[in-house]
Amino acid sequence: MIPRVMLVAVAIAGVSAPAMAHAFLDRADPAAGENLQVAPTRIELHFTEPLEPAFSAVTVTDESGRDVSAGPTIVGGSEMDLPLKLLAPGRYRVTWHAVSVDTHRTEGKYNFLVLPP
Amino acid sequence: MTKAFFTLHAMGFVLLALSLCLPQIAHAHGVVGDRFFPATIASDDPFAADELALPTIGLGNHEEDYDFEYTKTIFPHVAVSLEGGYVNAHPPGGPNATGWDNFEITPMWQFVTDADSEFVASAGMGFEIGGSGSKSVADRFTTYTPEFLFGKGFGGLPDSMALLRPLAVTGVLAYSIPGRSTESKAVEWSGALEYSLLYLQNNVRDQGLSEFVAHLTPLVEFAMSSPTDAGGTTGTINPGILWSGQYIQLGVEAVIPVNHASGDTVGALMQLHFYVDDILPQSLGTPIFGGNR
Repeated sequence: MIPRVMLVAVAIAGVSAPAMAHAFLDRADPAAGENLQVAPTRIELHFTEPLEPAFSAVTVTDESGRDVSAGPTIVGGSEMDLPLKLLAPGRYRVTWHAVSVDTHRTEGKYNFLVLPP
Repeated sequence: MTKAFFTLHAMGFVLLALSLCLPQIAHAHGVVGDRFFPATIASDDPFAADELALPTIGLGNHEEDYDFEYTKTIFPHVAVSLEGGYVNAHPPGGPNATGWDNFEITPMWQFVTDADSEFVASAGMGFEIGGSGSKSVADRFTTYTPEFLFGKGFGGLPDSMALLRPLAVTGVLAYSIPGRSTESKAVEWSGALEYSLLYLQNNVRDQGLSEFVAHLTPLVEFAMSSPTDAGGTTGTINPGILWSGQYIQLGVEAVIPVNHASGDTVGALMQLHFYVDDILPQSLGTPIFGGNR
């Protein structure tokens, strides 16, 4: 009986919830901790919720902290996109912040590695 | 001096007007910097956020408990929670006792939120209202419990320990003061050690986990009580797992007594938790004053 009560409550919550919540990172390309044979030309981040473009952005820096982006962050729907300069082998840090359309803020960072040819 | 006084006030009004016009960014349940702390079951978490735990079901030690806790933000980082529950106790050799436990009201203030160090700290004051529950199971006197709560993520660990970065701890240190002199005061200490698969996946190394698995947090909780006047420490250690979705959270834990005085059977805890700030972000899920309504 107890599990049935919880299942019904979960079903009600799932059906009635409106489409707004924290925007958590759903997937990224390049992904966290990825070792790449070929340098990426852009960063793509996909989130769980639509984003507020004015308050959402991503930056990529090299090991000396220098910005390696080749343009501004493009935010559309639940995605962020950042064009990159030609990346030399080394470690890079992706730092993002996102504000979902219901104004909840989330942020994160991760590294990826471009391997020597 | 008068001119400067009025200039300062004019600037203040302009800043106030601007602040009211700008969209306000909400910092809500369990998020500090890169870290998301799920709501723990056996111990309170340190977040002043709009959330509802309904039901929390405890089984074992000759008792079933059906509890709820609703927390409402009044101001950003200031909240009040209301907690209650129904008890069905059947002690061996004794008569069964059923009824409502006392209701407890706890105002709390989340006074530190440091994104860089993934650290949060709060202070609260619990009032378990004597006589608000059934005579058969609830105390007739009020108990006052000042408490300090904290949470800390380990995202700042060096690269050589990167796989430990998803670890986080939460803790509560409280002192319960019964409103009857014949009852013993007690230090209540509880907490959790948790490993966030979401943090592992998004911040350390993408393991190719499925969306469901990436939202799991294995954890071990503990909840202890050490009377200061008489008697020894009692409590439980609770290994379990939480699943955090966009709007709800599910959790299940085993409840293992730490000694004979704490119980003689292994029990279970289950909880369904609603993130009210995400379900109703423009109404019930935002602070009454100073929110983004």
